[in-house]
Amino acid sequence: MGGRDHVARDAESSIARSVTARPRGGGIRGLLAAAALVAGAAIVAFGVFGPTGVQGADPSASPGATGPGASGTVTTAAAGRSIFLQTCAACHGAQGEGGPSAPAIADAGAALTDFVLRTGRMPLADPNQPVRRGPPVLDAASIDAVVAYVSSLGAGKAIPNVTTDGTDLAAGRSLYTANCAACHGATGAGGAVGGNFVAPPLYQSDPRTVAEAVVSGPGPMPVFDLPQDQLNDLVAYVESLKSPPHPGGLAVAEVGPVAEGFLALFVGLLTLLALARWIARGQADGAGDAPLGPRADE
Amino acid sequence: MTADDRPTELERVANWFDERTGSERYARTVLRKVFPDHWTFLLGEVALFCFVILVATGTFLTFFYTPDARPTTYQGPYVPLAGTETSAAFASVMRLSFEVRAGLLMRQIHHWTALVFLASIGVHMARVFFTGAFRKPREINWAIGIGLLLFALGEGITGYSLPDDLLSGTGLRIIYSGALSIPFIGPWVASLLFGGEFPTPDLISRLFVFHVMLLPGLFIGGIGTHLLLVFVQKHTQYKVGPRRENNVVGLPFWPGQVFRSVGLFFGIAAAVALLAGLIQINPVWLYGPYLPWTVSSPSQPDWYVGWLEGLLRLGPAIEPTIFGITIPTPFLPGVVVPGILFTVLLLWPFIEARITGDHRMHNLLDWPWETPIRTATGAAGIAFLVVVMLAGANDVLGVLLSVSAEAITQVLQILIFVVPVITWLFVWRLAKGRRSRPAGTLESPAGTRLRRNAGGGFEEADRP
Amino acid sequence: MAIAFGVAAVAGLCLLIVYALGGQTQIEGVLLMLSLGGIAVGIVVWGHELLPDHELIEEREPLASPSADEDDPTATVVREGITRRRALLGMLGAAFGGLAAALAIPVLSLGPAPGSSLFETPWKRGLRLVGPDGAPVNADDLPVEGVLTVFPEGFPGSADGQTLLIRVDPGLLELPSDRAAWAPDGYVAYSKVCTHAGCPVALYRANIHSLICPCHQSTFDVLRGAVPTFGPAVRPLPQLPIQRQADGTFVALGDFPAPIGPSFWNVHSGSNG
Repeated sequence: MGGRDHVARDAESSIARSVTARPRGGGIRGLLAAAALVAGAAIVAFGVFGPTGVQGADPSASPGATGPGASGTVTTAAAGRSIFLQTCAACHGAQGEGGPSAPAIADAGAALTDFVLRTGRMPLADPNQPVRRGPPVLDAASIDAVVAYVSSLGAGKAIPNVTTDGTDLAAGRSLYTANCAACHGATGAGGAVGGNFVAPPLYQSDPRTVAEAVVSGPGPMPVFDLPQDQLNDLVAYVESLKSPPHPGGLAVAEVGPVAEGFLALFVGLLTLLALARWIARGQADGAGDAPLGPRADE
Repeated sequence: MTADDRPTELERVANWFDERTGSERYARTVLRKVFPDHWTFLLGEVALFCFVILVATGTFLTFFYTPDARPTTYQGPYVPLAGTETSAAFASVMRLSFEVRAGLLMRQIHHWTALVFLASIGVHMARVFFTGAFRKPREINWAIGIGLLLFALGEGITGYSLPDDLLSGTGLRIIYSGALSIPFIGPWVASLLFGGEFPTPDLISRLFVFHVMLLPGLFIGGIGTHLLLVFVQKHTQYKVGPRRENNVVGLPFWPGQVFRSVGLFFGIAAAVALLAGLIQINPVWLYGPYLPWTVSSPSQPDWYVGWLEGLLRLGPAIEPTIFGITIPTPFLPGVVVPGILFTVLLLWPFIEARITGDHRMHNLLDWPWETPIRTATGAAGIAFLVVVMLAGANDVLGVLLSVSAEAITQVLQILIFVVPVITWLFVWRLAKGRRSRPAGTLESPAGTRLRRNAGGGFEEADRP
Repeated sequence: MAIAFGVAAVAGLCLLIVYALGGQTQIEGVLLMLSLGGIAVGIVVWGHELLPDHELIEEREPLASPSADEDDPTATVVREGITRRRALLGMLGAAFGGLAAALAIPVLSLGPAPGSSLFETPWKRGLRLVGPDGAPVNADDLPVEGVLTVFPEGFPGSADGQTLLIRVDPGLLELPSDRAAWAPDGYVAYSKVCTHAGCPVALYRANIHSLICPCHQSTFDVLRGAVPTFGPAVRPLPQLPIQRQADGTFVALGDFPAPIGPSFWNVHSGSNG
């Protein structure tokens, strides 16, 4: 899962699914999948659903994230400077002092810089582009170099070193509900937060990415200052949201009752109408309406 | 299938009862009752059978559900909630979902059926409306139907709230605020309904009483009367074949209709069982227990309350204070508009009779295009509901369409007026056009053709 | 038909076995569907194939009852003894009215009189700000552009005391002049209960210093006293006057100056401020 961020994925393309995870529906794709299922692919479903015994998400399934730390060597910082000048300075200025189209980032720090570069949010081809998740533009080494350079420019948060080993999922869940669920949703599916801001789904983010966002508050996200153990608990819970137990079957409810209502109306109700249509045989237009007595065989 | 003259077991049982009770005499009237055979006449049955399934699964759920808001510590197998303080109600729903065998299936059948139940009531109502089946002598049954719709909505809202999870608590908070917004009596109404200032320890047990006793009781009483009236007044029918105002043509209840109805019941049960077995609904373990200071986004009610949610989202930010009386902002969209909607629905048979001056008996149904004004009005009403339901999901739509929820709200604030008007005009023209087509003229203009005629004499002109 | 019933029977037995083995929701659902669906298909096809659609015509009798016999003695008694006793009927109505009024008493015991409860929260002068866990909040716990949910000390988790403590760059604040002292060092506290329909206004967009309610998208400007800028809410989120202590904790200087949460008819009358 550590390589997740290097797989090219569009932010809009719903949710990443790892092949080992239980099937997860999300948004329209989940609805369509569900519709197809109900339409008759029950057999397929047998193959798809594993036995869903009761289990909490298993933290050991997700490898502990490794943070490289914020201390780039001098040479990395120097290399980072030249990459920065090529890719970032046009908008943010050579010293990260900002410009007419971009904010000052001298104090962005390693965590935020690493976050925006590794999730492909930066650099933008055009300052008017919306900032959204995508494949990283720079390779891993260049990112480390730029991170080192930016952290040398001013203050800012270091890349947090988090682990999901030995964490307390219940504590993480509680922190998540208190601080994150309002925007990212209780299920981590993300959602609109007003204006053109969208709290992204969390299923693509590895623990390090989540931790970086928590401590640095990218974009509209507030900044959180959590003790190390709480941060670990939190990222472990977010990690567990990628494949929570779905004892109830296909999970379409990641966006809640809207998806459920959609299915109830367009699959459930339509099925029942078709059923009624099949069972009753009288025609409204009177066609085949034998005068009386036994009807002509159809 | 060889016929012989010896009585079958079924006949013997019937005789046994008949000799002791004279049951056959009454059974004969019931069993020979005629049911017009058309699928749109099964929609009410769909709703009825959904209700039966709800009662059956709901009874199972009550054996495990604890209607208690008192805090307890969750000790079940779901790790992320281990040791978390939840209400006893929430913990019991967790137990139902994870520890009671087949409990989750029952819960999911119950919830999916509830969603479909409300939908089937909606289409049944639409059929009755667009064919004019509510006209004299069936105004009472229409009114009972509106009552049943309200009870069903109440069942839905209270049922949604019982698990005491994050979504349901948020919904209750909004209902409390709606009650609070009524001028003068609002604070009292809210306090009496909820047992004090939200959230109260009494709330869950009250909701439970409403959900499993009061509302089902009202619903069963209503549905009994509803069916009794259908029995007494006999079914309406489409004007095809030998059907007239003074007869009813169709299959006898036994055996024809019984096979259809029983088949329909099992078919519905099979459909919701599949839906519930394969598709997860309302994963309360992910939402977690309700805490009044937390919330999940997107935050929506079940679909059948979506229109109310949408009205609240579209509501104007107006809160005038007149002579010291403040009219809170949710009052207009949350109380007044729904009140008007349901009043108009309830009174529609009388409103229409007033407008058309038609006070005669009607047992033959209208085709929707024969009554352009009614059809256009109904279509405009549905269009209105669609707009406000979209508004209720503006944030989800915004993400899907990559526009802001605010923009959707602003557009829908205009469309809520425009779309129903356009729909009305469009459907009205469409119906007018269809009605004036030559084929339609054979069904001579409503009113002139058929008079209720006790002697059984009626004009045959309605059939080519 | 026979096949359908057979499938139903087998599925029912399989369901029993699955259940005995511990149960699995998806398999149970599918088997239940097969069991019920088999019966449904069998019965419907039976009805279609083996029972001729033998339609009957039933005549409709007039619904209205025939008019009663003119000199029915009971009718006379009813007319003379009941129907025409307008005054008595009126008094009977009044009696029922009185009884109904008396029955309002048990209804009134369903909840306490609202009294001043809607105007008050647990916040009092001198109460410290604590987090959901009940521990006092320290200024260092909250970074700039950060947000915390706080409660009056002794009331963690309180529904009407829930408050957002937000830290912004003090230079950005444009609070009304009489509240200048209420936001020490850029720490500003607002009621978390939406003034529209009471949901927690929990979505904070730090970069534009704006709060939004997830229920109906009422939006509030944190820098300018949480005035609504979009959505159906009309009243600002009431601001809690707070003071920073030497030890880094905060205390409230009093209750909110206006009722928190959704409006009600006399929301502007008896204020506790």
